[in-house]
Amino acid sequence: MATTSIPEDSFLGRHQFLLYRLFSLAGFIPVGAFLIVHLLTNASVLGGAAAFQSRVDLIHSLGPLLPAVEWIFIFIPMLFHAVMGFVIIATGVPNIGSYSYQGNVRYTLQRATGMIAFAFILWHITQLHWMGAPVGGGQFDPHHAASSAAVALKPVAITLLYATGIIATVYHFANGLWSMGITWGIWTSPAAMQRANWLSLFVGIGLGAAGLGALGGMRSIDVEKAKEIETRMYKARQMLDGGISAEAQQHSAHAVSLSRESSSVMPAGSTSSANKEKRSKKKD
Amino acid sequence: MITASTLLNSETIAEHEQSPQEIRVRVLRQDAPGEESYWQQFAIPYEPNMNVISVLQRIAAISKAQDGRKVAPVAWDCACLEEICGSCAMLINGRVRMACSSLVDNLFKETPGEIELRPLTKFPVVRDLSVDRERIFHSLQRVKAWVPVDDSYDHGPGPRISPEEQEDAYPLTTCISCGCCMEACPQFNKIEVVQREEESDEELESRKQSAYDQQFLGPHAISQAVRFNSHPTGSMNADERMQSLTGQGGIQMCGNAQNCVAVCPKSIPLTRSIARAGRAATVWAIKKFFDR
Ligand code: HEM
Ligand code: SF4
Ligand code: SF4
Ligand code: FES
Repeated sequence: MATTSIPEDSFLGRHQFLLYRLFSLAGFIPVGAFLIVHLLTNASVLGGAAAFQSRVDLIHSLGPLLPAVEWIFIFIPMLFHAVMGFVIIATGVPNIGSYSYQGNVRYTLQRATGMIAFAFILWHITQLHWMGAPVGGGQFDPHHAASSAAVALKPVAITLLYATGIIATVYHFANGLWSMGITWGIWTSPAAMQRANWLSLFVGIGLGAAGLGALGGMRSIDVEKAKEIETRMYKARQMLDGGISAEAQQHSAHAVSLSRESSSVMPAGSTSSANKEKRSKKKD
Repeated sequence: MITASTLLNSETIAEHEQSPQEIRVRVLRQDAPGEESYWQQFAIPYEPNMNVISVLQRIAAISKAQDGRKVAPVAWDCACLEEICGSCAMLINGRVRMACSSLVDNLFKETPGEIELRPLTKFPVVRDLSVDRERIFHSLQRVKAWVPVDDSYDHGPGPRISPEEQEDAYPLTTCISCGCCMEACPQFNKIEVVQREEESDEELESRKQSAYDQQFLGPHAISQAVRFNSHPTGSMNADERMQSLTGQGGIQMCGNAQNCVAVCPKSIPLTRSIARAGRAATVWAIKKFFDR
């Protein structure tokens, strides 16, 4: 039966099923999960510059680990999904001209928004992420989160580009969830697929509102006031770090016995809670 | 969704009182495989209750282009004239349909007085509207779309199938291998293997088979795999079918455009089959990984 044997030529051919499933999974976890966290974090700017700054501080508390986390959980999976996405786009021949059914329109939009998302994300990273600094980007300052974002997003053309990028990416993710449910066999009957549309719509509208809300929130930030708040928060953090080390030195002489006692009981991880205690004392 | 049943529910002739006197037919012709295609216009007298096959029969009878030039009759495939043999699929007014169940009176609602006919675009043209549909059956072979019974012993009665299971499987058994679903699928691409110079027929054949083996099965074959895997006797070969479904050109090539289900003349729930195959593939792949 020569006809039933599948020639196992290329790497891509041999592992096609696995690669396509990993691609699909990557769109959801971690890339889609990141999108949700990212848009919701950004939407916190609607609660003011301080609220947003404290979220950003939380992310940046990873310190030197942050780039590793970014690459392993965000950039590499996203690049994998995007490269596979382009391969998949190249294997299809869209035909909405002849068959303008709803499913086909969504299929075509899924590909179009994937490509828009790719271009948008590339530009977005260059413009705001520190990696874009060498080419004149990297405008986001993690110590002045809202104010630096507000300045970068203010021009109307930039805002419009962001709105387009956000809508395209959110559509891609929300519709991708629906298509993913078919791919993995979560919803199988036409009625279940219909119900799953509501889930997609709900996720899409929710994330779209968060994303566009964040964009609007950033634009309506009073830059000078935000800067003031952020600088105060920045100084407080610096003082804490500096203060702690100075305090530690001061205390070092007479606190030897005490620290011996505590270090023998306290696991390494609990130093931060110790710092917090000191912080609250400091404020008094 | 235009399906055979809606097309067949055609209204009476009375509604077409000012029906046109003649039908202008544009046909995309091709004299032989690999040759250039060209348009030709025909004009035939209108008669009530015609379908596209009878239009083609009138064209064959006159064998004259609209300008009066004597031309070779247009070639096409058909057999049953009742949407059962599956051989007459073609692009009618730009969309894939069965010629036998496409009624002229209905087509005139899209383009009054005119009909455009083209061969399927996903299969190699043999001549005019006749295409080489081998790949449709090749895909069915890939997924073993049958229950193997290759001896003459009496194995006794087969396992019982409940009426519910029967009802669930029945629509899938009505597939007529017409190719409509593949034609409309944006993920199903044309393969035309052309004989090279000094290539023997055997070499050509094996090159064609392996090209067919590597590309997308198509929605019909996925649906047949699901149908036979749900059959108590057929499921004895379930593993082999899963192997093909998750192999190169398998279920993963589907992009969920759902055109297949929209154009299927038999209204087969193809996307339900595709999702069921997806679920089975998920379970099967995990099992295979841990049982290795
Ligand atoms: C960066 C460029 C990107 C490209 C080129 C791209 C491309 C694609 C394509 C072509 C599909 C359809 C696959 C199919 O149905 O066969 C797809 C599906 C999907 N994409 Fe993307 N994508 C990109 C980014 C993203 C992002 C940022 C996310 C998440 C926020 C995402 C999430 C998804 C999901 C969940 C699916 C559904 C997978 C499935 O149907 O099984 N993609 N992507
Ligand atoms: S599934 Fe429908 S469209 Fe596809 S070959 Fe069978 S009958 Fe034709
Ligand atoms: S659902 Fe899949 S098989 Fe059906 S037309 Fe769309 S891509 Fe093709
Ligand atoms: S002639 Fe048999 S299906 Fe049309």
